Amino acid sequence: MKIVVCLKQVPETNDVTIDPVTHNLDRRGLAGVMNPFDKNAIELALNLKDSRDDVQVVLLTMGPDDYADSLREGMAMGADEGVLLSDRAFAGADTLATGYVLAQAVKKIGDADLILFGRQAVDADTGQVGPIVAEFLHQPQITYAANLRLSGANEVTAERLLEDTKQTLVAQLPAVVSVRSELNTPRYPTPRNIQLSFNKPLTTWHHDDLDLDDSRLGQAGSPTIVTKVYAPEPVKRALTPLTGTPSEAASQLITALKQRQLI
Amino acid sequence: MSKPELWVIAERRLDHIEPTTQQLITKAKGLAGDQFSVVAILLEATNDQLENELTAYGPDEIRVVRDDRFPTATDAEHADALQQLVTAYQPNSILFGATITGRSIAPRLQAKLQTGLTADCLDLRFDDDTLVATKPSYGDNIMCEIICPDHRPQMATVRPNTFVAAPATGDATVTTATVTFHPVDRLEVKAATPVVNTATTVGDASRVVALGRGAASSATIDSATKLAEKLGGRIGVSRPLTDQDRFTHDDQIGQSGNTIHPELILNFGISGAVQYLVGMQDSQTIVAINADENAPIFDVADYGYVGDAQAFMTALLAQFN
Repeated sequence: MKIVVCLKQVPETNDVTIDPVTHNLDRRGLAGVMNPFDKNAIELALNLKDSRDDVQVVLLTMGPDDYADSLREGMAMGADEGVLLSDRAFAGADTLATGYVLAQAVKKIGDADLILFGRQAVDADTGQVGPIVAEFLHQPQITYAANLRLSGANEVTAERLLEDTKQTLVAQLPAVVSVRSELNTPRYPTPRNIQLSFNKPLTTWHHDDLDLDDSRLGQAGSPTIVTKVYAPEPVKRALTPLTGTPSEAASQLITALKQRQLI
Repeated sequence: MSKPELWVIAERRLDHIEPTTQQLITKAKGLAGDQFSVVAILLEATNDQLENELTAYGPDEIRVVRDDRFPTATDAEHADALQQLVTAYQPNSILFGATITGRSIAPRLQAKLQTGLTADCLDLRFDDDTLVATKPSYGDNIMCEIICPDHRPQMATVRPNTFVAAPATGDATVTTATVTFHPVDRLEVKAATPVVNTATTVGDASRVVALGRGAASSATIDSATKLAEKLGGRIGVSRPLTDQDRFTHDDQIGQSGNTIHPELILNFGISGAVQYLVGMQDSQTIVAINADENAPIFDVADYGYVGDAQAFMTALLAQFN
């Protein structure tokens, strides 16, 4: 059984600022780390690998060469190999163009039974790429899976938590699954696994390694354009201070809330 | 020639319409002016009459497609049906709620249509017939305006509770359309059961007791639970508390969590990161209790107390009794 886990590298912190002069995002000095939600997808793959002997876990990412750091980290957690999709032609891709290249790479990897995603990336927060890849591969999708188990030779059963409903879904493989972070607690790389990871294969595929329609790549293949980036400004209000002991202050608040007919 | 259409995809939540649908109809009517006709798209079972929950919000048209398989249809089956409607009616733009369902179906449809989709939007406007969608990034610390200039339809998912639904006058015409239902035989929804304890999300509550890093002890959470009960509200948390077992991202306010605007929010031990403030600043009455008098939360609050969150909460509970 082959499991492909798609992952993204994101800035270490979301505390980014806007350059007041250029109005561009100031990303200087921000180190890249693996998107935390993607670790839940890797953990699910490794759980399945622990449960039977024939599971191969392949990590897949698209980005600059330093995204290899996240592949190495995932291999140190226990994944078997990593594939980096890196080419100038892929740069500037939105979710549609990213999903296209990932789907073509999954085809090239071949025979993937499960394609896993984290619930969303913490920087762009779209959660779109999983369903896009599922559509391009013509595969069923289970998004926001709260748990998943193999329920047959070629079948998974998963629970999906909607806002107020729990769905039980059964998919015949191959299928695309994105997982909720509540699903599991990702393992840490052990020293032994870190050491082993350096002998695991990490392959880079460039443009010519994949079967690609150039009009669907990078900026040219991206329907969306970011026209403006800015920092939100909270709206200030006139503060009425509550004063004295906690008891006195609580009493002032109760009076105020009664005046506002809130209690 | 009839006006181009601005679509709102109606979402079912158990036997009702998910409230974001109504919020989006109100917003779409505001955006449409004379330029667009607002059409709610509703996929329902033969005997359903969910359109009755939409008429009061005054879309120009409610286009209903009936098939008994829709209530348990998969994302791909929904997307397939919607694609057929898009081909038939060529809408200018399509809006979904950024619910789990909306965020699962919309990208699938986007891929079928090979067009642009902007996720989890906090604002929408039109420049001529180009939809300008405002989307938060980096955990709501940054806002991006995104357009899709050369592809139609334009698509967006919109965060629940970003807009307020308002009943409107005007007769919505209810029409029916047909699609061919293409079953996906490799995926089956076996069961769907209500989850009781999240039946109201923090976004639906009219009173919210919000807890942050300065109000994270077990005792404080217990007091807050009692306070929320007395107020008829529920607890929400800022990001640090989502690491606790008792809370999930569904309880989180701001930062790709819930944008909320309750009648009353009491913020305990929350200093007020930008994304948090933006996520709750439209609340009607904002109260803040924090030990740090320089905490940014006080800038956006109506009432503030500088002091210990637990002590204030204990005093408040005592006076409620």
